[in-house]
Amino acid sequence: MKYRLIGVVLIALALGLSSDAFATPSNLLNVLRQASLVFLSASGLTLVIVGAGLDLSVGANLGLSACFAAAAIKATGTLFAGFSAGLACGIIVGLMNGLMVTKLRLPPFIATYGMLWMLYGVNYWYMKGDTIYGFPSEFRSLGSGDLLGIPIPVYLMAIGLLAGGIFTRYTTFGHEVYAIGSNAEAARLSGIPVSSRLILLYTLSGAMAGLAGVIYLARLNSAEAGIGSPLLLPAIAAVLIGGTSLFGGNGGLAGTMIGAIILTLVLNGMNLLGINSNWQPLVTGVIILLAALIDSLTRGHAELRA
Amino acid sequence: MTFGKELKFRFKCLGLLMFCLGVAGCGETKDASSGTKRETIALFTKNQTNPYFETVRVAAKAAAAEQGVDLKNYIPTSNDSIPEQMNQIEDAITSRPSAAVFIPVDAKAMIPGVEKFNAAGIPVVNLIDRADGGQFVSFLGCDDYAVAMNTAKYLLQKMNGKGNVIIIEGQGGSSNNQKRIAGFKKALEEFPNVKVLASQTGNFQRNMALQVTENLLQAHTQIDGILAANDAMALGAIEALDAANRKALVIGMNGTKEAIDAVKTGKLLATGDCDGFLQGCMGTMAAVRHLRNLPVPREVIFPITVFDSTNFKGADVPYEQRMCPKWESIVKD
Repeated sequence: MKYRLIGVVLIALALGLSSDAFATPSNLLNVLRQASLVFLSASGLTLVIVGAGLDLSVGANLGLSACFAAAAIKATGTLFAGFSAGLACGIIVGLMNGLMVTKLRLPPFIATYGMLWMLYGVNYWYMKGDTIYGFPSEFRSLGSGDLLGIPIPVYLMAIGLLAGGIFTRYTTFGHEVYAIGSNAEAARLSGIPVSSRLILLYTLSGAMAGLAGVIYLARLNSAEAGIGSPLLLPAIAAVLIGGTSLFGGNGGLAGTMIGAIILTLVLNGMNLLGINSNWQPLVTGVIILLAALIDSLTRGHAELRA
Repeated sequence: MTFGKELKFRFKCLGLLMFCLGVAGCGETKDASSGTKRETIALFTKNQTNPYFETVRVAAKAAAAEQGVDLKNYIPTSNDSIPEQMNQIEDAITSRPSAAVFIPVDAKAMIPGVEKFNAAGIPVVNLIDRADGGQFVSFLGCDDYAVAMNTAKYLLQKMNGKGNVIIIEGQGGSSNNQKRIAGFKKALEEFPNVKVLASQTGNFQRNMALQVTENLLQAHTQIDGILAANDAMALGAIEALDAANRKALVIGMNGTKEAIDAVKTGKLLATGDCDGFLQGCMGTMAAVRHLRNLPVPREVIFPITVFDSTNFKGADVPYEQRMCPKWESIVKD
């Protein structure tokens, strides 16, 4: 894990030297706030990928959950209804993904890719090009407020990280996820109920996407059918940059947090330095590849020494 | 399962799927041919998520109903997808609409699509975004450059011609974005005491604009004005200002209902627009007029409105309740 931090430290160091505005407490908190939203959308996904699965529907699920939550708050005037609607949507979608992968034996990529399009379809039909906007300030503070000077989404990230750490390290289910990810057949033969574990994992991923949808809603103060689609690839990238392998069996949430921070730092740095918009995609690509390269070099070196 | 059996099974699945599609297909054609033989207008919009195009579709539907023609919508499922719109053109041509009202997802890339319409002999009206080639009955639209320039000028005057501004750009490579940013820059030339602190992209997305504004607020302690290339980004920027307890005058473009509401509450200074509802009406009417051999000018450029706290009334009426204006009240011979 500590080797993955090198990328973050190097990027931060470079930015600190080139921009006065970077290494200020308020900007670092700003980066953490932005990263925590990426983290939330990628957290459940991380565990699915550890279990050698994939969930391409997280962005679409997040978007639909946000829209349902928005509609529920508007219809009932209560925040609880919004939370319930968003979370319920996320959980149902996740459960359906899990059932498709285990009971119908569809490959995760195809099952969740199909789900992605179905969710877009439902959302387009439901929203009809509309935007639902204007929410009470106590709800919005979930996404944009502070508590004791620290952004509220950062607390949520800390809770997610802690819960995920306990889950993967100290629970049987957690250990089983890594076993399934390393070799599902061996896991099954050793008595792990692989199907039911995978269903739970996909449901968890859906639930986290639903929760992230509610937090995005609070932050944006509006929901439209398209909000989830640009969030899918960054979520997957955060997981993979954080060192979790697409083949499963290793990695974890701490890595995903680092991946989310690296992705956030890139945009923050480009904005602070005023990099020309036309060059930004190229710069983003180069930095991500450099971060991955530093990671693989330092890890190779460490493994040689060990 | 042996290979042969599996293959058979797959064919069964395929058959079932094709049967389903066939049923769905039949349903569709029945819809289109109900009643006496009516003319059909194929309307091509750019995506399902931008409220602006929903306005255009609602207006086109109203105009089609008034004119007694059928309207069929073609909307890419991926936002502004070039290959998808190209496929939809081919699909539309096979069902032979009487005419097409066409908003290209890209000015250059869709030229071959327009040429397909031309080759099939289907008249095309170009609406809102001008295509760079192909044969059209008429172009009806709005000068994005002028809208951006007028809206920016309005902001800069409100700033008394001095202070610091940031620009939130749309998607790189989009011709709409290029025109809007050029319009902003032209307006800024007239106000030499206004300093542009940064011009960064928000990709036309609310979330990214929010994030970019948060970052720029970190970098610059004094920001007096924000020029956003669309309303969603302007509203994202306002969320960032609110959260940071900072104040700046913000302008957007498109005149969406949400933006008009924000103008009403004083959060957004102004939004520049050529009325999407008017464009949807007039585009459809132009196609129908052409089919009925009524004159249609080669080009109709709509008037620009900068909606601010003084003139938003009327723009906040729900689209479903609006009526299309008479053709003659907009186009004078």
